[in-house]
Amino acid sequence: MAGDPQRIVYMNNAATTWPKPPQVIDEVARSLSMPFFEEGRSTLAGQRNYPGETRDLLANTFNAGPAEHFIFTQNATDSLNMAIHGFLHHIGEPCHAITTELEHNAVLRPLRTLEREGRISLSIIPFDERGSIGLDAVKDAIRDDTRLMVMTHGSNVLGTVQDISRIGEHLKANGIFFIVDGAQTAGQIPVDLGSIPLDVFAFTGHKALFGIPGIGGFFIRDPSQVDPVRQGGTGANSGYPYQEEEMPSRFEAGTHNYPGIASLNAGIRFLEGRGIRNVENETMQMTRTLLSKLQSEGSIVIDNEHPDLPIISFNVVGIEPDQVGFILARIYGIICRTGLHCAPLVHQRINGGRGSVRLSLSCLNTPEECEQVSDALGEVARGAG
Amino acid sequence: MRVERSLQRKLCVDGSLMKEFVLSEPISEDFADYLRNFGEVKIMTLHGKPFLSFEKPHFISVKGIVGEDTVEVRYAAGVHDLTADLFHLLLFHYSSGKEIGKMKEIEAAMWRMIRVKLGI
Repeated sequence: MAGDPQRIVYMNNAATTWPKPPQVIDEVARSLSMPFFEEGRSTLAGQRNYPGETRDLLANTFNAGPAEHFIFTQNATDSLNMAIHGFLHHIGEPCHAITTELEHNAVLRPLRTLEREGRISLSIIPFDERGSIGLDAVKDAIRDDTRLMVMTHGSNVLGTVQDISRIGEHLKANGIFFIVDGAQTAGQIPVDLGSIPLDVFAFTGHKALFGIPGIGGFFIRDPSQVDPVRQGGTGANSGYPYQEEEMPSRFEAGTHNYPGIASLNAGIRFLEGRGIRNVENETMQMTRTLLSKLQSEGSIVIDNEHPDLPIISFNVVGIEPDQVGFILARIYGIICRTGLHCAPLVHQRINGGRGSVRLSLSCLNTPEECEQVSDALGEVARGAG
Repeated sequence: MRVERSLQRKLCVDGSLMKEFVLSEPISEDFADYLRNFGEVKIMTLHGKPFLSFEKPHFISVKGIVGEDTVEVRYAAGVHDLTADLFHLLLFHYSSGKEIGKMKEIEAAMWRMIRVKLGI
């Protein structure tokens, strides 16, 4: 069963989407077939400026600009580190920061590290029974010295989408810098950065934007509020001894990941062709159908009954999550994720830290695959009972 | 029967250490029976394939499919250093005439050290 791509049912898309659309694979190959277009260096006729083109695509997809305020990084973790550390370096004095129990370690670990170093004091807001962060909880956590809030847009365990517009409005009114982790939402649901009052939106390319691993980015509203934590060559103004101030060079030092950017370019165009709203609707329809089937199995305990994203977290009574994952992979060829999914605080709340099995879909899954998964889990649940 | 190669190792959330091994031959029902001397063995047949789990609390657990040569071995938290050889020894003594007595002695010696280390 293992190793045959034709027979794999892949439902670990919240980690990395697979398969990639054929046009993504073709674009990566095409990007490697010519010398890369490197801004500031010699160019050839026929070369494509993937960074420039892709920034324009991002600005259009997320309805925000200027395009140069979209910065390329390795992934969402990289983006969040650059934004969090860069903002705190910029303000230059200890402050209070707020985050939530829903966070991935990409948020928790940088913040905890800063807390340990005495550079911030940290408040962690609990989520409510629906898996949401309420505005009142945010208001309660704000102190006179609160300067930063970092939170996820969509939980990678519970699949709940947070009301970052309302929260952002309140933070903006209080002069609090707002960094949003969009790893689970970018490409999966429409995100209108033109209307959401946030300061930084971090995303990755290898999830619902269908790029390859190693490419991500962030949008920054006002670059002057975040110091660049990396310095290096930008291909321009090489005589200047410090990092350039112009965007995007302020945050992009060193050679770009050109094949990664090409994949992101093709991934976004694939989504534009299908329409992100259509992608969301199709994926959620499959998710709800699968969820409903799993709910009908008495010994499957669902952790998130009403996800907004195509994520189902659950446990099977009488069998450990890692055993379920092993069985699904080795016997049925179904790839899922087991454990804490890098979000330990969520699991502390929902099941005492035991972890869960997570199925996460993409628009390239099919209803037939959902049937296979529900049939397999039905067998596992009955076998374990 | 022996470990042919190690595929991956991962520190798990509960502090246990998971290692994935490829064995020199597939797991057999006979090997599953041998393991019963040292812990709880469960076999759950799903989709025509027998999923095997072996649990020895405070020592190791093993997951595999009877008839396949890949296993995941999880070494209990806090005592990886003491139990690191246990699965290899089980394979060795199984291959050496399904020897049980010597293996039980080794297991007892490990247990004494585990109790001291864990304070149980």
